[in-house]
Amino acid sequence: MIKEFKLPELGENIETAQIVKIMVSPGDEIKVDQIVLEIETDKATIEVPSEFAGVVKEVMVKDGDTAKVGQVIFTVEEQGETGQKKQEPEKEIIPENTTEPEPAKTEKPKTEVKDKGIYEFKLPDLGENIESAQIVKFLVKEGDSVENGQVLFELETDKATIEVPSEVSGVVKEIRAKDGDVVKVGDVILLIETGKVSVDSKKESEPVHEEKLEQQPEIKAEETPSVQPERKSVPPHVPKRSGMPEKIAPAAPSVRRFAREIGIDINQVRGTGPGGRISIDDVKKFAKTLNQSLSGSGGTLAVTGIKQEPLPDFSKFGEIEVQPMNNIRKKTAEHLSFAWATIPHVTQFDAADITELEKLRKKYSKKAEAVGGKLTITAILLKVIAFALKKFPQFNASIDLQKNEIIYKKYFNIGVAVDTDRGLIVPVIRDVDKKNVLELSAELSQISEKARAKKITLEDLQGGNFTISNLGGIGGTGFTPVVNSPEVAILGVSRGKLEPVYVDGEFVPRLILPLSLSYDHRIIDGADAARFLRWVAEALEQPFLLILD
Amino acid sequence: MNKVQLAVIGGGPGGYAAAFHAADLGMNVTLIDLEKNPGGICLYRGCIPSKALLHISKLIYEAQEAKKWGVDFGKPEINVEKLRKFKKKVVTKLTGGLGQLVKQRKINFIQGRASFLSNNKLAVKLTSGEVEEMEFETAILATGSVPSTIPGFPMDSPKIMTSREALELEDIPNKLLVLGGGYIGLEMGSVYSALGSEITVVEMMPQLLPGADSDLVDVLTKSLSKKFKSILLNTKVVDIKEIKAGIKVSFEGKDLKEKEQVFDKILVAVGRKPITEGLGLENTSVKTDRRGFVVVDEKQQTDDPKIFAIGDIVGGAMLAHKASAEGKVAVEAILGKKVAFEPAAIPAIVFTDPELAWTGITENEAKELGINYKVTKFPWAASGRATTLDRYDGLTKLIFDSETGRMLGMGIVGPGAGELIAEGTLAVEMAALAKDVALTIHPHPTLSETVMESAELFFGHTTHLYKPGR
Repeated sequence: MIKEFKLPELGENIETAQIVKIMVSPGDEIKVDQIVLEIETDKATIEVPSEFAGVVKEVMVKDGDTAKVGQVIFTVEEQGETGQKKQEPEKEIIPENTTEPEPAKTEKPKTEVKDKGIYEFKLPDLGENIESAQIVKFLVKEGDSVENGQVLFELETDKATIEVPSEVSGVVKEIRAKDGDVVKVGDVILLIETGKVSVDSKKESEPVHEEKLEQQPEIKAEETPSVQPERKSVPPHVPKRSGMPEKIAPAAPSVRRFAREIGIDINQVRGTGPGGRISIDDVKKFAKTLNQSLSGSGGTLAVTGIKQEPLPDFSKFGEIEVQPMNNIRKKTAEHLSFAWATIPHVTQFDAADITELEKLRKKYSKKAEAVGGKLTITAILLKVIAFALKKFPQFNASIDLQKNEIIYKKYFNIGVAVDTDRGLIVPVIRDVDKKNVLELSAELSQISEKARAKKITLEDLQGGNFTISNLGGIGGTGFTPVVNSPEVAILGVSRGKLEPVYVDGEFVPRLILPLSLSYDHRIIDGADAARFLRWVAEALEQPFLLILD
Repeated sequence: MNKVQLAVIGGGPGGYAAAFHAADLGMNVTLIDLEKNPGGICLYRGCIPSKALLHISKLIYEAQEAKKWGVDFGKPEINVEKLRKFKKKVVTKLTGGLGQLVKQRKINFIQGRASFLSNNKLAVKLTSGEVEEMEFETAILATGSVPSTIPGFPMDSPKIMTSREALELEDIPNKLLVLGGGYIGLEMGSVYSALGSEITVVEMMPQLLPGADSDLVDVLTKSLSKKFKSILLNTKVVDIKEIKAGIKVSFEGKDLKEKEQVFDKILVAVGRKPITEGLGLENTSVKTDRRGFVVVDEKQQTDDPKIFAIGDIVGGAMLAHKASAEGKVAVEAILGKKVAFEPAAIPAIVFTDPELAWTGITENEAKELGINYKVTKFPWAASGRATTLDRYDGLTKLIFDSETGRMLGMGIVGPGAGELIAEGTLAVEMAALAKDVALTIHPHPTLSETVMESAELFFGHTTHLYKPGR
């Protein structure tokens, strides 16, 4: 029996991944859980194990390809029963439609079907209060036959360029606009002869007599967007074991199962059917909108309002080499631009005298080695920062500008910036307050190693409250790190240096560690930042302070 | 040591459904059960034999009824020996069929008693006395339940039966006390009543079938009180004593005529409890709750990630079809699919005459959950088909969300209710609206029309029932 190995669901609404390395070739015998693929997503490099055992028949991708979730990567001939079940098609639902990035289809165009199968293609609702847009280019001409889903024309709004796909298959009869025209939502753009008399027959045949009560909410449902991604913070619905769950989403079992398979909580999907019934399409639409809202495309531009300047042709000035950005670089670029552009940054500088601490560090470094760690300043700082965050809770917070709320976190997860050959990665150490310095040193060693060995999981990168970036190993006297949004502060650590310090009437050599704290000025005042950093410096100088108050 | 990919412990409707599904999905399955063939309590000592007997008792009742219509069959002559044989034949045919299906699927069936040695090892004590050990990748626990007993009751007395002994039909006692007014007590009471026993039912709660909606139960109670000698509600058994003439039972409760009565036999039907003892669960991380049920999550996974559990042993509705559905979820979860046991409706049927069935939420539950609901009831007195059967006592009841008209539950009492409830279950699962059910053409003349007409009542009126002044 031939099985298709598909790119599995990667969570976090990741739709595509780059194949870093495919580790099998046709003829290879593989086992269940054997690593067959190394992929890189926006967030991490992941090793993917096989779900099947058998002999690899055909490999459909090559290193460097970008694959979609659900895409067939290779096929495997399973050992044992061959042939017996060959006829049975795999029933698995490929959530391909769901994950395809199609920002254009924000709303199903409200089109009507005229007699004799002429379909009036109207400019669909573009959402976000956009009323008109400019047609950049038609990709079809009169007489062309088009398929459902085929892109008809490109459209430019003030936010983005959108490819508008057809909702039907047929032949383009007439195009009522031309490149460059500004068209309004609802305008008929082109006529498509479908041959079929009616496409939305379901809607038309729906009884409209009586039942006014039922019809009204339906109309409403069409006007408001059918999805509410902002509700994604609602805790997942946990069905009760005993008896029936309190509320069962109005969706058929097949739809509920589909939602579960693609990782959507059915209770958050708003149904557009009668009585709010949820269809597979509703789930897909919800997933799509969720993806868009999470990827934040369009959002960045809206926030910055900065126009991308065209680049000069650098090759005019000398030899160049063009390389595509890898996913981590791309994500870092997006994320840091967003943080830099939205957070009013201020950086506070200070320095700590770590002469005494350094003695202790050296003295106990063997102990850390015994547990597989390295007693570094970063490991010690993790602990100090956890205490500082407890003392200064506004540093352990996030801002929700939409709701005008500050979210204070009662847990203490701290990210540590790790330099890898593929770029910057920030794994998160969890519950730092509950661990001692030795444990932290061991965990830090492990996770840095994991990051460098590309073994990091998405989970390792999530849930941080504060970040430490220690560049002291390389050098430097100070720098201004960028806050790792949605966190509100980041500590930069530079290289400790012996400096003459004037103590009791004479200069003595002391080891001085430069510290810089960048913070989000919307939530943290300058004085608080100065106090925070001073407290950290003093805690390094006199660790007794940690337990004093 | 033998290595198995999936070990299913218990071959009841949960266990065998899971084993078959797993085999169909390409797993290497070992199924362990005490009997020669799969089937479990359901086929050997539960659903199936009781239904065979209830079919006969219905026939006896109907033959009696027929006198009214001008057909007299005379007094039935009952050959208990032959009855037992018929029942046995039914059981053998079905379990034998399952045995065939096991072979066709190349499932390794082991007759024996399994217990966990650790979270990846099992010891199976074979019928020969030998012990076979095996290492498993995953296991599904589906050992089911046994009838609950009452502490202090001489359960080993031949005069005291549980459903298990009652189904053996050793004899037809003259006077039988059914302890417990749940579905098992009422079904077995009906069988023995038809075969000639004088039945007394005693129930602690104020109604039969506690938990079910009282308007439906009332119909059944009315019918049963004609067949049974008495139905004692709000009544407890406080003492029993074996005497020469039988068993002397002392009752305590309101409106009691006789505080003490003598019966030939007692059927104890006070519920069922999970079988968890002797399974070696202490050698695993599987957890049980206060009442002894195995704790599982929505994927049927226990606290031991390699061990799943399904059916009666995890509690909830202790019904075969719920166990099978859970079994399939467990298998797919083991295979890494994103699944959960999350039905919108689990139908439940009491196979008495009339039958009583419900699905989705009951009116009681709707009240408890604070749902804004609307109930419609279509009495069978207005049904043409019911009239041809000379049965006017049925009732078809639908429970809707009053805002959206979404059907949330169905309750039905009347002959054939058990078959009719399937439509209600589908409607609830599909989130059908009152309008959907009302607009669906139902065949005439059938009892299923009562479902359509009940749905029409959501809008105030229906063909065969005149409701003035809407």
